[in-house]
Order: sequence, then C-alpha cells, then structure tokens
Amino acid sequence: MSEVLKPQFTGARVTRLEDARLLRGQARYVDDFEYPGTLEVAFLRSNRAAARIQSVDVTEALAVPGVKAVWTFADCPITLPDRPFQVGQPVLARDEVRFVGEPVAAVIADSRYRAEDAVEKIRVQYEPLPAVVDSRAALADQPRRVHEHRPNRFLHKTHVTDGFNEAFQSAPHHLELTFRWNRQTGVTMETRGCLALPDPVSGRLTVYAGHQSPHGLRGMLARLLKLPEHQVRVVVPEVGGGFGIKAMFYPEYVVVAEAARRLGRPVKWIGDRMESLLADAHARDAIHEVAVAYDDEGRILAVRDHVIGDTGAYAFPGFPGAVGEANWATEMLTGPYKIPHVSIEIECVFSNKAPLGPYRGVGGPIGAQVQEAIVDAVARALGKDPVEVRRANLIGPEDFPYHTPTGKVYDPGSYGESLERALALVDYERFRKDQEQWRAQGRYVGLGLCVFVEPSAMAESEAGSIPYEAVTLRMEPSGVVTAAVGTGPTGQGHETTFAQLIADQLGIDVKDVVVLHGDTDSAPFGGGTGGSRSGTIGGGAAIRAGQALRRKLTQLAAHLLEAAEEDIRLEAGKAFVAGVPARSITIRDLARTAYTDVARLPEGMQPGLEVVARYQPPGAATYSNGTHLAVVEVDVETGFVKVLDYVVVNDCGVLVNPMIVEGQIHGGVAQGIGSALLEELRYDENGQLTTTSLMDYLLPTAEDVPRMRVEHIQTPSASEGGIKGMGEGSLIAAPGAIAAAVSDALAPFGVFVTELPIRPQQIVAWVQAAKTEAQAG
Amino acid sequence: MFPNAFEYEAPTSLDDAIRLIREHGYDAKVLAGGQSLLPMMKLRIAAPAVLIDINGIDELKGWREVDGTLRIGAMTRHAELEHARELADSFPLLSRTARWIADPLIRNRGTIGGSLAHADPGADWGAAMLAAGARIEARGPEGSRLIPVDEFFVDTFATSLNEDELVVAVHIDKPTGPVAARYMKLERKAGDFAIAALGVQVELDSNGRVAKAGIGMCACGPIPLRATKAEAALIGQPLTDETIKTVSRLVPEDADPTDDLRGSAEYKRDLLRVFASRALHEIAEELKGKVGGQ
Repeated sequence: MSEVLKPQFTGARVTRLEDARLLRGQARYVDDFEYPGTLEVAFLRSNRAAARIQSVDVTEALAVPGVKAVWTFADCPITLPDRPFQVGQPVLARDEVRFVGEPVAAVIADSRYRAEDAVEKIRVQYEPLPAVVDSRAALADQPRRVHEHRPNRFLHKTHVTDGFNEAFQSAPHHLELTFRWNRQTGVTMETRGCLALPDPVSGRLTVYAGHQSPHGLRGMLARLLKLPEHQVRVVVPEVGGGFGIKAMFYPEYVVVAEAARRLGRPVKWIGDRMESLLADAHARDAIHEVAVAYDDEGRILAVRDHVIGDTGAYAFPGFPGAVGEANWATEMLTGPYKIPHVSIEIECVFSNKAPLGPYRGVGGPIGAQVQEAIVDAVARALGKDPVEVRRANLIGPEDFPYHTPTGKVYDPGSYGESLERALALVDYERFRKDQEQWRAQGRYVGLGLCVFVEPSAMAESEAGSIPYEAVTLRMEPSGVVTAAVGTGPTGQGHETTFAQLIADQLGIDVKDVVVLHGDTDSAPFGGGTGGSRSGTIGGGAAIRAGQALRRKLTQLAAHLLEAAEEDIRLEAGKAFVAGVPARSITIRDLARTAYTDVARLPEGMQPGLEVVARYQPPGAATYSNGTHLAVVEVDVETGFVKVLDYVVVNDCGVLVNPMIVEGQIHGGVAQGIGSALLEELRYDENGQLTTTSLMDYLLPTAEDVPRMRVEHIQTPSASEGGIKGMGEGSLIAAPGAIAAAVSDALAPFGVFVTELPIRPQQIVAWVQAAKTEAQAG
Repeated sequence: MFPNAFEYEAPTSLDDAIRLIREHGYDAKVLAGGQSLLPMMKLRIAAPAVLIDINGIDELKGWREVDGTLRIGAMTRHAELEHARELADSFPLLSRTARWIADPLIRNRGTIGGSLAHADPGADWGAAMLAAGARIEARGPEGSRLIPVDEFFVDTFATSLNEDELVVAVHIDKPTGPVAARYMKLERKAGDFAIAALGVQVELDSNGRVAKAGIGMCACGPIPLRATKAEAALIGQPLTDETIKTVSRLVPEDADPTDDLRGSAEYKRDLLRVFASRALHEIAEELKGKVGGQ
C-alpha cells in the first residue's frame, strides 16, 4: 500500500519541532526558572586593565539590607586549571587585576537590585600598572609581563614544508600583505547565566546553565568544587544562542555553584549586556603578515604567513582562543587551492584584555579572508580576472583525497562546481560589463568571492576532545520514541534533525520522536556541540541507534508475521512483508507486545525496546565547501557600504533538512556582514574597553542583511548518512566575500582591504588619498 | 543594568507636575518617553531619587495650528510626527527627521519634548528644530515662556531651562513661501546614533530666490549647531549648482566635531559638506516649478 519513498524525512524541509514553543514565547531559559528563596549574585568587576589590588573593603556592602555575603578571592579561593601555560584565572581576582571586566568580588543578596546596590559600596584600592594592549609590543614583554612569572609569549610554533625556500625564491613574482582583524565576539541574544540548587538531603548540586557541553560543564564543576561527578547534575534548558561563547567554562559559574553549596540556598546569576561584552569570550584579534610567490599564469606556488595572536589575560581551560584562531587560520590557509608550499609561524601572547575564546568559525573567517585576498591580489597584480586566477588554482575532482601542505586530508567536495554555479547565478560576464558602466556614472559596485573549505566534525574542538557522540533510544509501549542525546543545541534544531534521521530508520512519523538533551541525568555522556560536529557525529549516532532499534523491531515483526527478517519493511508506522502489504502489524502493536505481551516474543528476546549507540566518524574530519558571492555598492563620499546581492552555493554532503541548513547560512552571513562592516571591540591605549553596549558594539539588523539566494550541492562524506558539518562555513566565508567586494568596488582607487571591520571613514580616506595622488600625478 | 531605588510620581495635570518638579528640584527627573532616561538609570549613570512620570498629562499631547504657528505638545511621540501626513507640506522636516530617529520601537515611545530637554548632541530633533527655526515653550511656577531654539541648548545634556521648568511644547512658524526640507544622517547600521546628521530647510520668495534658510547640525559639537555662514550665503540666491557648491563648503565651518568611536572630526566635517550638497540638490529639484513664473 505504502507509496512513500524512503527515506521519507531525511532531506525534507520538515518544519522545526522546537519552533512552536520558541515562537510562542513558551520556551524556558535559565532565567525563567524560579525557585523560592533564590539568592542573586552581582559581580564587582575590575575597571582597570592592570593594577595591583591593595585592599578591598566590603564593610559598607555587607551592611546593605538583604546582603547575605560578599566574597573576594580569600572567601572563594578557587583557580581555573592553569595547564599548559602555567596561568590559571582565579575565579575572583587575586592580588592583581588583568583585564577590565575581571570579577573582583561577588555580592550574594536576596535580590539583584540589592546586590547591585552593595557592589557600589565595595571599596577597592588599586595601584595602577602599565597595561599591555599592543600584541607586537607584548611579544617583547613591553611594557611589562602580564603574568610576572612568565613571558607574554606563551606559544611559538612553525611549520615549513620541505622545499619551501626554493619554491618561494625561484618564483617569478612576489607580493606581501599584512592583514589585521580586530576583536569581535559572538553576541548571544540570551546572555550567559546560571542557577545552582543545592539538595540538602543528598548533598547533590543541580546547576542550570546555558551551555554547549553539558557533560563538559559537569566535569569541570565537579573537579573545581571537589565533588564526585555524580553529585553534580547539569541541566541545560533552552539556550538563546551559543556561537562557541557558551562552550567555555567561566569563573562566574564556580562562584554561583560554590555560593549555593555554602549558603544552602538556590543562587542565580544572569549576566547583563555590559558584562556580556566585557567578559564573554572575545574572538579574532590577530595579525597575519603574508608573503606570496606566484607565476605568470597566477598559479600560487608558496605562501608564508606569520601570525601574531592576542589571547588576552588568561587562556580559557581547554581552548586558548588565540591558539585556536591561529591554528585554524593557518591549517586552512590554502583553502580550496592547490598551493604546494607554506611556511607558517605562529606567536601567541597574553595581554591586558579579556580572554579570547571560540566564536563561530574560530580562525576560519580570518584564514578564508587571507586565502581569498591572496588570490585577488595576485589577479590584480597580473591584471587578470580574479575568477580566472581561482580556476587556475582550484583543487579539482581528480585531486581527492587531497593532502594539503598543512597535513589535512580533504574528502571529496565540489570546489570548482560551486564557484561556477555561483557565477552563473549572478551572470558574471554581464556583471563585469554593467560594472564598467556604473563606474562611468560614478557608482562603485563590486563583486567579491569566497570559495571556502570548512573542516567539520573534528575530534578536537571548543566542545572538547570527545571524538564520538551517543544516542539512547527508547520506544515506549505507545510506539513513540524518546531519544536522549549528549549534544548541546543552542538553537540549531537538533530535535528536528535527529528526529528525522531516527524516524526514517524506524518507519514512523517524525512527530513520534521526542529528542531530549541537556540534562546529564538523562543524556548519555557526550562531547556537546562545537566545531560543527553535532550533525555528523550526533547524527551518525542517531542513525546507528535507529538501526539497532530497527533490527529488534524487524526481528519481532518477522516472528509475529511468520516471515523472514530480510523480507520485513518498516514504513509509515507499519511493519509488513515486502510485496505483501496486507501481512502487516503496526509499529505501535509491536511496541506494546515488546513490553506487555512478552509471551509472544521470540525465544531469547529481551522484553522492551531500548538501545544505546555510539558513533565515531571514520575520518579525522570531513570538509564542507561552497562559494559565497557578494555584490556591494560603496558610497565613496560617505564610506557607506550596502550589500546589494548575496549568493551562496553550499555543499555539506547529504542534507538532512535543507530549511535548517539555510537558516544556519542566513545567520552566518548576517554575522559575516557584521564581522566585515560593523563589529569591533575597541580597547583604548589604557586597556579600557570602549564598546560596552550594543549602541557601541554594532550588530547588523534586518535592514543591513540582504535577501540571499542559497543553492545546494550534495557531495556525501564517508560518515554515517553522508553528512558533513556546516555550522560555521557561512561565517567563515561571508567576511572574506564582503571584503573582496569592497576591494573590487574600490579598485579604480587602488584600494585593497586588509583590515576588518571596514570603517566608513577609512573608505573615505582611501578614496580621497587616491584622488589627491591622481591630481598630484 | 539594575537601577537604584527611586520614588515614582505620576501627576495627571500640568500644575501638579510643576509643583512636584519644584518640590524635588534636581533630585527629580521627568519621565517622558524614557528612551534615554531609563537606559541611563539601568546603567546607574542617572540615579534620580524621584521619577515624575508625565505620560498621564493630556495637556501635553497632540498639536494644533494657531495664527500661522504650529504648537506641538511635548509628549508627542516621534512616530506620530513621522506619520502625520497633514503636516508634511508645511512642516516637512518633522516627518523627514522623525523617520531617522533610532528604531520603530523607540519612535513609538520617545517624545519630541523629552528628546529636546535631554539635550543629547547626537539626538536628531535639535538639528531639525534649528533648521525649522523653532521656539521651545517652557512652563514653570510663574507661567510660560518661549525660548528660541538657538538659546535652548547650553551644553551637552544641559539646557537653559530653569530647575523648576518643564518643556511643554514646541512652536514652529508656518512658512509663507514654497518650502522644502531634508534630513540626512549617516548611521553605520539602522537605529544607530548618527556619525553626523544635517537638517536643511529652504523657503523661496516669489522670484525663486532663497528667502529663509535653516541648517542644523547633529552630532558635530557639544550641542546641536547652526551653520550660520552657510545660511547667510544662501539668502537671496537661486539654488544653482554654483550656490550649492559654495554653501556646502561653508557648512563645516560652523561645526565643532570631535573624534569618537563613530568617526574622526575630519570625516564628520566632510560628511556635513556631502550632506549639505545632497540635501540642497534634492531641495532644488523639489522646488523646481513650485515658484510662479519660473
């Protein structure tokens, strides 16, 4: 009877199951959980970038009505792990403050209002120290060491391919460029926060937190509070965006949990926006000094990259941001191009700025912009079309598996195909003709490309180094499936995606799969969400678990229908004999039988329908790819950039839900526009952060983001289901595409963008300088 | 982001409001739309002991025209002026400015009187009111007085209002000749404060020459500033390309911008020139054919 083609749900635009509650405002975030008697925390944060703490007087603060405790480091002497750089952040500053926003003291009171009143009454005596804010000076320990006991440079490494020098020196042409990315952060709509509930009977601590890695958070809390791991339960409810920021472990969580334990009361802290901009993980902040060797045809023969990364005052446990940024940017430096030789040098330093951590794409956006700018610069130097130079350098279908000069192995992708398709979507030849005419009219329109490669589903990421994921599946007697997963979604739609994969294995409706996540009491141990691993690794585990449950259902159905197992089909809520659809039993009846009519089970079969499966992909990573194409217009009198058109051709292997994939792309492009044109955390020369509200840290709004056209190519991975990760590619590619488009628009003035974000006044200055020069010449 | 404790008063008549303002003096802050005051309180930059909420005073709402003068109540919301089609012909700067203020949510709550009294040099109404030649009506215990807008702004966040006075209305004379206006603003993203902005209003005489000109500059000094030299250069001139070029170059001469996160002083001056040129060209185009016999 069933006409349904398999798979029914994988690849379909299934409406997100989570959206009903999210869009109706019924979803519950950390701050929505209210328990009687909850105390609230407000932190006093350092207003100095670098200073010795001479004294902290909390007398007046303690006298504020409703205040239960005021803590400094002496009251909560816990330090985050200091390996491998011998620098651990005290959860409350100890003797010295090292960045503006560093927690110095915590007030625990019966309301946040009173806690904030008390914060105003804490008196701190600081002895100012010179702030380390310039990364080049920091390298030479100027003006001083951020941590007295060790040099500022905490990482120095090089990677040079054999034969680099000869290849570089013998090349006919060379060019040099220095790129600079300023500090940015992955502003989440929901700020960070946590709520800790002690259970006086069991001594157990339950911690609610918006976090990407529930088990990772549990492990770290247990370790620092010296509790056995089973005595800590982490519950991650709805999370309003993570972007890597919420994969990190922060000092505030320790203070809140410790306060709950010691005071025997629920304790809550919700960061405000200023705290968020001061002390959420920052990102980017790197300099790339690049030299390129190339031939007459535009073939790039060798690239040298010297990276200076500024990680701020402390290294986040497990993820020192500058190292993550520099590693990713340089490992992926050659992107989709066949560049045989690289010479890479990375230097990472401490400074008196907030700690750097992961933000969506980590070093990918910088690496991709450098990689594309190299190609565009070569094209411009040779007077060639940038598309021609790309074609001359691209890795072709015959090159897979492709070994990069940085030791990566690319699985098959559609590099050239995605480029050609993107060009066709805007009619590239026509665009170049129109562009000439517009320029003649004084309109400066440019087209920028970014052909990106996105590593995904690596064993190591900001979510930790757990290389597998687990899914527990339980089909209830009703036939409805409950799936528990260890990933930590922050809005990506895991509930829908995993339900699709599982429903297809079991032949049931997607709405009959309930996905649970985030509670360490019910979720199987997992690494969490980060590094675009959830779709590939978590999805693989979902498929494997579905297959295991399917085997048992098939076995049971074969027994009940008196047929061979290989003839049993599971589809549309029924098990039936292939070719004889009338010989069938509903899956619901199978489930009921498995639990309540166990006499009918085949000999040796255990009652119940419950499985757990773990999945680790075969490769070290799988590589998504695609092409972003941006068309922008630049007002050369005001410096204002408007994005006119935006095209994405994306290849993330087998699509589970194209609508969700497109949603990821839309969001990443929006963040990419912000990265390229708006977002900048600016420290002044004293190490003061001057962008502490969203009126100063500028995010793109709906008006700044164009309607974009997205197409898909599907080159399967070798992973289960052929899935590749794609959570970051759109933010990896978009800034480079926008930057390239601005460079292209301003080509008549000789402008080539190497610093992001691009400030309007910079554009006006470039154009005026070019005009002045032209007049002088 | 949690304000200090404060007392809250919500008078329903103007007399009550002025009595409360007099009673509490500088300890009190008047709450109109609250779109600047509340964020400042949440950041604890402002910590008034008493908040006097004037949203319940009907006398402060709406506008009317009397004897060739428009009187706009202080509690009129930006959004109301943005959408007031009946004012668009004679008072073109109102809608053209209002639509540039922040975002729709803020325009729905924020008020023209509150914005002027707050005296933020980055606010849009100050520059527009300079261009329109407005007068601010202030009411105190002794009654009302009209303050020319040029005398209203004293310094950043400071006005010539007395401690016990409240802005109750804005007065703008109705133009007698053909009039056109533009408000131009560069913001890095929608809803942002201006890098620089410019309000321009031009009224022609029967010969097609400029009879009245108003040019106000926003975010280019400690207070909204008038481009006096440029205005003088416009009077009596036809709006030719040559005039516009000359006048546009004069505009930045009366500006006093500083370097900040949004741009350098030099860049802001340049923007003013660009905006003046663009605004006057558009105004010239719009006024073509509006003058008899041309």
